[in-house]
Amino acid sequence: MAEFKAGDMVLDVDEDGFIQEPDKWNEKVAAALASGEGVDSLTENHWKVVNYLRDYYLKFGVAPMIRKLCKDTGFKLNEIYELFPSGPAKGACKVAGLPKPTGCV
Amino acid sequence: MEAMQRSYKAQKVIDRMAKKLNRQIAGSLAACVHCGMCTESCHYVLANPGDPTYAPAYKADRVRKIFKRHFDWTGRVIPWWVKADSVYTDEELEELKDIAFGKCTNCRRCSLNCPMGVDFAVVNRMTRGLLVHVGIMPKGVAVVSKDQWEIGNQMGVLKEDYLDTIQWMSEELVDTLGDPGAAIPIDKNGCAVMYTINPREVKYDPRTISDAAKIFYAAEESWTMPSEGWDMTNFGLFSGDDELGGAVARRVFEKAAEIRAKCVVMSECGHGYRSTRCEGQNWAGMDVQFEMESSVVTMLRYLRDGRIKVDRSKNTLPVTYHDSCNNARSCGMFEEPRELLGLVAADFREMYPNRAENYCCTGGGGAMSMSEYTPQRLKSAKVKADQLRATGAKVVVTSCHNCVDGLTDLIRHYKLDMKVTQLVNLVADALVVEKRVAVPVPKAVPVAALAGRTILVIDDEPDVRAFLTAVLEDNGAKVVTAADGDEGLALARKEKPDLVTLDISMPGKDGGKVFEAMRRDPDLRSIRVCVITGRPELRKLIYERPVPPPEGYLDKPVSEETLLTNVRKILEVAGDQKAH
Repeated sequence: MAEFKAGDMVLDVDEDGFIQEPDKWNEKVAAALASGEGVDSLTENHWKVVNYLRDYYLKFGVAPMIRKLCKDTGFKLNEIYELFPSGPAKGACKVAGLPKPTGCV
Repeated sequence: MEAMQRSYKAQKVIDRMAKKLNRQIAGSLAACVHCGMCTESCHYVLANPGDPTYAPAYKADRVRKIFKRHFDWTGRVIPWWVKADSVYTDEELEELKDIAFGKCTNCRRCSLNCPMGVDFAVVNRMTRGLLVHVGIMPKGVAVVSKDQWEIGNQMGVLKEDYLDTIQWMSEELVDTLGDPGAAIPIDKNGCAVMYTINPREVKYDPRTISDAAKIFYAAEESWTMPSEGWDMTNFGLFSGDDELGGAVARRVFEKAAEIRAKCVVMSECGHGYRSTRCEGQNWAGMDVQFEMESSVVTMLRYLRDGRIKVDRSKNTLPVTYHDSCNNARSCGMFEEPRELLGLVAADFREMYPNRAENYCCTGGGGAMSMSEYTPQRLKSAKVKADQLRATGAKVVVTSCHNCVDGLTDLIRHYKLDMKVTQLVNLVADALVVEKRVAVPVPKAVPVAALAGRTILVIDDEPDVRAFLTAVLEDNGAKVVTAADGDEGLALARKEKPDLVTLDISMPGKDGGKVFEAMRRDPDLRSIRVCVITGRPELRKLIYERPVPPPEGYLDKPVSEETLLTNVRKILEVAGDQKAH
């Protein structure tokens, strides 16, 4: 198990850098994770995506379909990729404190 | 040694090995002479030069010793000479897991140089299967296998979410092209192409779906996506579980047979292509009557036949091509992607070594789903990074989703200035779509669309009979109903209906028997049949019968619109055929 530092916090992450304890996630952690995903500062639009992903995950225990994310946040598919260059699965989900998506990704 | 107590799991592994050994595996286990020719071919070895435990022959010996001890006469007669040894503890099995899943991607590069014809990947896949059989596997493999068994695809995507996403892509494409004819068809019968995908496309990045749809549209292809059996990936290949492999492949095959597709086209996924096209029929124990091809071959065919036009000046960045192990080394697809790439991109640069000798993306064999091995995976990726850097290309193209992720990960780790993409994206970007005169889409069903038709409804549930009767009568049909199979057959003879809607699960004579009886009766043979059932798993009762398949198939609950569209379609096709 690897470790990840966000300010003075130390979090357990898996070997791909996804945090293991969703309870310890906060805005500072998100910002620190984002800088590793090519997002230097989190704008209002980033937060809209991140908060949606996190709420969905806490409610249903899985990452939402990209269709749901776009429909409910109003972003177009290419806008999601502009916000998170490493994509919704490995970029946005990681920043939102979700575990690594399962399967061929 | 024999006095040593063996754990329950270790005993099960040995018992299972007896069942799983075939000629190829036994040959690969028996033939190794430890010459070391394979050693330098493995990307793990190249990244760990001082560590012999990564050598293919060493890894194989962990399994070979068990084979020699229990299944080879040399191990019984001279065990000390051939290094035969058994397996006793769960800890040994865990170590075996770290080798089989963590130190090999089953890329088969080591098999190229072996003078004895040893294929280490078949041994390693069997080992994975033996461990999975006793529940020992990386968590990622367990989660995905469970989703593929239970939900029918490797990312647990529900049917309504899948259909909703396809609908979304369909609407966007219709908007972009300004032609309602560009919509993505679902479950259309008798198409030339049934297009199957990797669940990641629908769950996270459906741009490849709309790109493919755009290409099919431009080629004026008769195509459809299936509502089920759309996942052509198969974790059975990675986990070594042939039963899972068979169950997953069967779903695709049964759907293609049901909608009478002429060819199953698979999106760019290396392991899916190999699993479905090359291994699936063996695992599933069934023969299929349709063709199967990679979308790479399909797209190239369209270009060769002049069905689509491209402008390769749309893709000007220097590109290189990465051969996926499953597409290239295992299935021989080398030249088609290169020819296609040459047609759609202006600046192609070869990677060395290439084709069958290319190095693994280092994310193969399911490695992307096993985070616990990520550090050693990325370390082993150095040779791949060097290979990519040497091309001078800015874009690496690959026809495998697994390679897309493996390459993306290592490009980031080794800080290369490159993007990863697939042929479908490049073809779609270069595509020249000629403006087509929009064909007006038929409006909603006009009133009395079924006037003059007699329809027999056979269903044991009174509510269903009432619903179907109401909808069909409202649209002008004469409806007669039967509550069981015998009554249904009697009414069919008496009324000579144009169409029968048939439930499968009924007390007494079930729908399958009624259907076969109708097909075998010269008087009833030509009556059109639409099966309507709430239990899709029963459809094999219909399709496995040695008679022509039904003209239509609907799942309960069925909406008024779906019912009418399908009934009209069946009757209109019948009319056309009679007219000819």
